[in-house]
Amino acid sequence: MLISADLINLVTGLISFLFTLLIFSYVLGDNPLFRIAVYIFVGVSAGYIAAVTWWQVIMPRLVYPLMSAIASGNMLDLGLMLALLFAAFLLLTKASPHLSGMGRIVVAFLVGVGAAVTLAGALIGTLIPQVLGTINAFDMTFVSGKDIGYFIEAISNSVIILVGTVLTLSYFHFGARPKADGSMRRLGLIEALAWGGRIFIGIALGAVFAGVYAAALTALIERISSLINFILELLGKFQ
Amino acid sequence: MRVITVFIVTLSGLAILSGYFLTDLFPVLAEVQTQILNVAITLAGVAMLVGIFNLVSVHTDKVRRSQKGGVYSALLVISLLITLVLGIILRPGHVAMQAVVNGIIIPTESALMGILTISLLYAAIRLLRRRVDVMSIIFLLTAAIILFGSATLPFGDIPLLGDFARWWSQVWALGGMRGILIGVGLGALTTGLRVLFGADRPYGGS
Amino acid sequence: MANVIKCPVCGENNPSDLEFCQVCQARLQPLTGNLKGEDKPLTPGQIPTEKTTADLEPVLPKWLRDTRSSARQTPEDDAAKTPQTTGSKFSGSDLLAGLNSQAQDDEEDTPDWLANITGETPKPRKPKTESSDVRWVELGNTKDFAQSQPEPEPEMPPWLAGMNRQTPQADDKDELTDWLRDADASRKSQEAAQPFALDDTPAFEAAGETPDWLRSIVADGGAGFNDSVNTADEAFTSSDTPDWLRALDAEITSPKNSAASKDSDILPAFSETPDWLRAMDAENAAPKTSVPLNTPDTLPDLSDTPDWLRAMDAENAALKDSVPSSSSDTPDWLRAMDSEIPASKASLPSDNSNMPDWLSAMDSKVTPSIPGAPIDSSDLSSWQPVMDGQDKTQSTDPSAFSGYGLEEMDAVFSSAVDTPDWLKGLEAGTSSSDQDWLKSLQPAEGEQPVQDSTPAWLKADDLAPVEKDMQEQPTAEENPDQDIPGWLKASALGSSIFAEPPAVQEAPVPTPSFSDTPERLNTAKPVNASVSQPSPDTDSLFTEMPDWLSIVDESAAPESMSAPITSVDAIAPGDLPTWVQAMRPVDAGNPQSFTSGDKTLEAHGALAGLPGVLPAGSVFSPTSKPKAYSIKLQASEEQQAHAALLEQILAAETAPVPLDSFSVIGTSRVLRWFLFFMFFIILPTVLSMRTQIFPLPSSLLVPLEFGGALHAAQSVPEGAPVLVVFDYEPARAGEIEAAAGPMFDQMILLRHPRMTFISTSETGAVLAERFISSGFLAGHHYQSGVQYLNLGYLPGGQMGIRAFAENPSETARYTVPQSSNLVDFAPTLAWSLPPLEGVTSLSQFAALILITDDADSARAWIEQTASARKTVPLVAVSSAQTAPMIQPYYASQQIAGLVSGLYGGALFEQNNSGRPGTARAFWDAYSIGMLLAMVFILGGGLLNLALGLRDRGAAREAK
Repeated sequence: MLISADLINLVTGLISFLFTLLIFSYVLGDNPLFRIAVYIFVGVSAGYIAAVTWWQVIMPRLVYPLMSAIASGNMLDLGLMLALLFAAFLLLTKASPHLSGMGRIVVAFLVGVGAAVTLAGALIGTLIPQVLGTINAFDMTFVSGKDIGYFIEAISNSVIILVGTVLTLSYFHFGARPKADGSMRRLGLIEALAWGGRIFIGIALGAVFAGVYAAALTALIERISSLINFILELLGKFQ
Repeated sequence: MRVITVFIVTLSGLAILSGYFLTDLFPVLAEVQTQILNVAITLAGVAMLVGIFNLVSVHTDKVRRSQKGGVYSALLVISLLITLVLGIILRPGHVAMQAVVNGIIIPTESALMGILTISLLYAAIRLLRRRVDVMSIIFLLTAAIILFGSATLPFGDIPLLGDFARWWSQVWALGGMRGILIGVGLGALTTGLRVLFGADRPYGGS
Repeated sequence: MANVIKCPVCGENNPSDLEFCQVCQARLQPLTGNLKGEDKPLTPGQIPTEKTTADLEPVLPKWLRDTRSSARQTPEDDAAKTPQTTGSKFSGSDLLAGLNSQAQDDEEDTPDWLANITGETPKPRKPKTESSDVRWVELGNTKDFAQSQPEPEPEMPPWLAGMNRQTPQADDKDELTDWLRDADASRKSQEAAQPFALDDTPAFEAAGETPDWLRSIVADGGAGFNDSVNTADEAFTSSDTPDWLRALDAEITSPKNSAASKDSDILPAFSETPDWLRAMDAENAAPKTSVPLNTPDTLPDLSDTPDWLRAMDAENAALKDSVPSSSSDTPDWLRAMDSEIPASKASLPSDNSNMPDWLSAMDSKVTPSIPGAPIDSSDLSSWQPVMDGQDKTQSTDPSAFSGYGLEEMDAVFSSAVDTPDWLKGLEAGTSSSDQDWLKSLQPAEGEQPVQDSTPAWLKADDLAPVEKDMQEQPTAEENPDQDIPGWLKASALGSSIFAEPPAVQEAPVPTPSFSDTPERLNTAKPVNASVSQPSPDTDSLFTEMPDWLSIVDESAAPESMSAPITSVDAIAPGDLPTWVQAMRPVDAGNPQSFTSGDKTLEAHGALAGLPGVLPAGSVFSPTSKPKAYSIKLQASEEQQAHAALLEQILAAETAPVPLDSFSVIGTSRVLRWFLFFMFFIILPTVLSMRTQIFPLPSSLLVPLEFGGALHAAQSVPEGAPVLVVFDYEPARAGEIEAAAGPMFDQMILLRHPRMTFISTSETGAVLAERFISSGFLAGHHYQSGVQYLNLGYLPGGQMGIRAFAENPSETARYTVPQSSNLVDFAPTLAWSLPPLEGVTSLSQFAALILITDDADSARAWIEQTASARKTVPLVAVSSAQTAPMIQPYYASQQIAGLVSGLYGGALFEQNNSGRPGTARAFWDAYSIGMLLAMVFILGGGLLNLALGLRDRGAAREAK
């Protein structure tokens, strides 16, 4: 039996409408309807992720290569795949409290690889480029030949960015020495720089807050719009 | 066991790092790195299943023990199993699975995100009631400026405030955010080194 | 002598004619009296001649003469009064003459201890109440100590307070109790072998109750002392008994048939004997050796015999010779004791089981005197108060006698230069004008009443030797000579200095073993010595007087005082006996020599070799019974207040400090509902009305990052492969689609790129399908596997990105299953499909468009693909919340452009040739929502700021 696209869209729209209302009911407070929607959402999401993992991770990375190795008779590939399967099995033992120790080696491997990737990525992808970016901000070649106002604006912006960067980094400098009274205080210079860093951090987090609010507002608008569209669409179908 | 795990961490980490920095000298290291990464991402995918299994076991246990909220857990497990079965049978790209995503996952998440609007605004309004300091004031002022600069008035753009808001967010906020990014990078760097040297053992090595 | 006398106690200068300090009421003029004595030693059988110490009057210092004259007035005026009625009268020649005058002249200022000396009933003192929970260090039982122990007056040291006690309390213990009990126990074990019994007092029945006898000693006011003679006798034989006491016991048990004294041989053994004792011994040695001793007492270990005891023995022997002296020469205090004995004898406790034998022996003869009767402590050995720890009235603090003794010491010192009368009397022991007390010591034949009134211990002590030698005294039957302890003889022979020099060393007296003896016993000195031999520390000297002797003395004091000594004889200073001269203190009349801290080493006389022998009263070091200290902290109120303050400080330090936060502000439901209605009424209204009141942002003043993104999108070559990363969550699908839609619409419309989708999010693949196949992009009819390819989910986060960047074909080999055939499990290789045709690496894509709502994801893609994509532009389309985090990467030129949120989508729509988009549909509502937020944040923030300041002010006022 073929399911028409309209029916699918109608059902999908109806479910979407229903779940949206259930979630919005949270404005009235925590209620069973909201919980039902949330629990079903979590279950569906987990099931969907599991299905995706099965089809897009297990199958193409474990099953297909293993079948290919078996079919080809390449013992090296087969051995590697068997080892990979064994490692995957060890990793699955982490789900059991009694067997979780077996997967420690696999987890250690993942942690080592992940740490190295993160380390290298942070170094070559953020630290060096951002430092260079702060330095290059004072490169005024792009304003050469322009009005002095551009130069002043560019250099001012560069200084502000540099100061903001330094002060913010000073805020994250937590090295302190014990005082005579036993309290831990940062150096006076660092403390003053950190105070300025709080201002820049406040500005940055204010910008993030505005972005989060804008994203949330957009999501709300999209949901309200979808509700209206569904109602209108539903009304249009029955008209 | 600890020695073994630390050895594995260090060895794998060094192999990956060598693939980053020594490929010009030893091109084979890039291939080694790729193979190791492929194994790693495969195992990471499997680890996703471990998380899902854990979720199922926890909520199944709650249902079996008839604990409070067991009904919701039952709903979760049932919906999970149904989705999983359908996903495995129909595959994720199937129309039905897309309907599940479009009908349940996206609306629910978007609705939750929409409710966040009220909560964020409410928190911003009440912030100065609880905490009055330079950082809070600047935080709210920046948010107000950027919000105002991100919108338009019925008669058009706000002439000066829009430019000021963009300058404020692209220069002043950039300074702070760059500092935060560098700080995050430094933290990632040191944390990675500690893990590679065995000082930190998040994998459970005793 | 100067006209001004410096007080030895407080250091204030006083006129020389004052007897007591104007400031501290300390005695300035030393007490003195007529002495009786003979410069020549008496020989056995020699009757001492009476001499009047008044003969020494001319040689006395002026201040001493004044003092003596003033002291004589009252006794002379009241000479007719009986001692019982006056009780405080002193003979002018008496040793304590000065005390009487002082007591009469300044009764109010008279210290209690002084009043006690004079026989007056001291003022009642408030007993020192002590908490019942006080634990005593020594023995632990509070009942062991009299809790009603009188509290000394503030201005009076505790050791003086004891002088005022008239009512004995016998339930106290001291640290001596233990060793005395042990001694008693040993005595019990040796009782059977004891060859001598001092009297017919039954033996102890309960030897283990040693403290009782001590208690009874004091409680009975001397009777107990008498009863305990035997006990002490045997107790001293215990192994724990100090050597000298043990030797005493040995002496008693040994036959007293020893030959003449061998003091000359003993001297080398006195290595541990203080110099002053040694000096005394040396002085006494000559008469001893020169006089054949008739006493059968032997000295089994003369090295253990204290010199002072030996000296007293010698003096006892002299007394034996002076027995015939009339009773008028007997000191009043002895006479008083005699008179008290019959009266109190009936009240003697019949149970003497706790008494030492030697005390029991005395008990049969010496009945308890009147309780609380003043005792001449000068006749008491200093160790006895320690033993008498039970006495809380008179001997609770034996040091109380030191004050008493101090007066006598002053007298001795003051008379050192010129022989006092009483020394004269001593020298005149053979005369017929012996002191009255000597008469009492010598029970005259035919004077039975006198004998009966004589204390038994005196009989045993003083008379028995005489009887032993002379075989004449009727008391000898009751007090065999061999039964009398030497120390008792010595103690009774405080009169030794009043009598002739001893011609007979009657009883061997053990020498204290200073190494084995407790400290207080080491420092114990006979009162005789304290009188005749100035102690380095007068306080300690008199402190060490035994209580039982003190009691006896106190009881005898009235009588002794009531019997004025008529000192008509005088001797020249040069007539002083050598031993008296040796005992003569140097500079005794100079009160300044008593100043504290005077550690001058005495070079002459009996004090030779002793540093600081004449200390002031302030240099008091109690050596007798130590106080029982409570283990309970004795803190004053101020100290307790300070402790409480310290406690509070510590508690404040350890108490958790509440955070400087404000009270929890309840959620404002009104505000929440207001916001809810504002957004859920206005926004749906605007959206439903599909208004376009608010224009889209001007495309003329676009941000730089947006310009870069627009340029990158427009720069994509025709039909070039473009890698699109869908790394956002379904929650942001509406925003992302609104932001990225116009750009993709323009790019697809203009460049028809071949797009490859990949995602590090599990839902990325389905969102990509939704993105490309819904909305206005659906109008382009892009087909999977033809114009676009979905590689699906890339697991591993940064690891997957790195792997994909380095080797995309190896990492993401297959496409998302596209087949609708459920049984078709064959994977589809992606890199052979048209969208990826000719692409083997990341750098071969024309552009990399990152659609993300996660800053970490954006950072990961930027970081991990930096080296792989080379010059391939990376354009980020992000949620508005991620844009601030991605902005620095654009500033550092790591990304080519950035389109963020609905604002970026609206900008792109402005540059998309007027094609409709989602941004336009949402823009009015979006602008209203943003403006509302700005207004609420500013207005509400200011309002809450004011409210918060008000709350803080109220909170500060409340604090």
